[in-house]
Amino acid sequence: MNRLDATRVLIAALAGEPVVASLGHPAYDLVAVRDRPANFYTWGSMGLASSIGLGLAMARPDARVFVVDGDGSLLMNLGSLATIGWVNPRNLVVIVWDNAAYATTGGQDTATAHGADLAAAAKAMGITAAAAVRDERELEAAIGRATASDGPWIIVAKVEESAPTAKPPLDCVFIKQRFMAAIGNPEPATSGTS
Amino acid sequence: MPDAPAWAAGVCAGLHAAGSRHVVYVPDNPLSHVLRVLGERYADVRTTVATREEEAFGIAAGLYLGGARPTVMLQSSGLGNSLNAITSLLVPYQIPALIVISMRGDAGEWNDAQVPMGRAVRPICDAIGVPHTTIDRADAAEDIVRLTGQSAFGTRTPGACLLARRMTVPSPAPSRERA
Repeated sequence: MNRLDATRVLIAALAGEPVVASLGHPAYDLVAVRDRPANFYTWGSMGLASSIGLGLAMARPDARVFVVDGDGSLLMNLGSLATIGWVNPRNLVVIVWDNAAYATTGGQDTATAHGADLAAAAKAMGITAAAAVRDERELEAAIGRATASDGPWIIVAKVEESAPTAKPPLDCVFIKQRFMAAIGNPEPATSGTS
Repeated sequence: MPDAPAWAAGVCAGLHAAGSRHVVYVPDNPLSHVLRVLGERYADVRTTVATREEEAFGIAAGLYLGGARPTVMLQSSGLGNSLNAITSLLVPYQIPALIVISMRGDAGEWNDAQVPMGRAVRPICDAIGVPHTTIDRADAAEDIVRLTGQSAFGTRTPGACLLARRMTVPSPAPSRERA
């Protein structure tokens, strides 16, 4: 399963749910599959996709929030797993595309190529609904469970590289305003004033 | 337990008046007074501990995307840990946060390791486009925090209040009389 195919499995399972994407290849494959207004693409802040997802899940308990992270990015912010385990948001689903490499920067190994286990790390931090999946069938089943039952969920999907060619919109404010409108809390400054 | 210091009550009243109901923080000693007041008097404010200041700004950004008005509280030493989040997420996406920074390294500091970042806080804020106001009097705390929050959320720009150490860690002058 390559990351683009895996991203297709995710998007096929979603309706209008928000998806927060880590910068680089996870965001590139997400826009390649479908440029949904409810996609929040980060262009920087490596490591923070799961934290953004956590804050969004806290502010919007009525929405099921999805995050597509990378193994290198999550390794940069492992403390996020401890915070997610503590806050314990039922409506947060973090999917880690684990290709065991810093693919966006040239394919250098990450620690998951040498034994680091992010699903085990999530469990160790109190996130009981943590799963590792290796093919599209397992991924689809895990997303189905994560959609139907309480989280927080961490799904670590072992993927191969997919050499993405698409890139998200460049305008960060456009991304934000489109996203906030799509999920039902438009930014106040985007409507008329009285 | 002694009453909370007036500056801490002012910080809480100010952030609440600015519409903030979420405080994400990495603790320090002076901020413990703010957290105690929030816990005792502001049941509608949710506090969340982050493991690191950069993570706190990520959580705050998500809160804003979900329609909330986040406050981030940190010690000045943690500003260094926050810079990539502020400069590559909050500033370019115009995601506001009310930032409350407990200063170390300014007048009264005893710890060498706190001085370089303490000295750098204001130039760093200027360089990355984060407006800041120093609070060194308890009776100004509520107004400055409230107005900083109003400007931040109104103009979609993170804005900082710097809590001077001589306010948060009062140190009475030694008596001039010989004992």
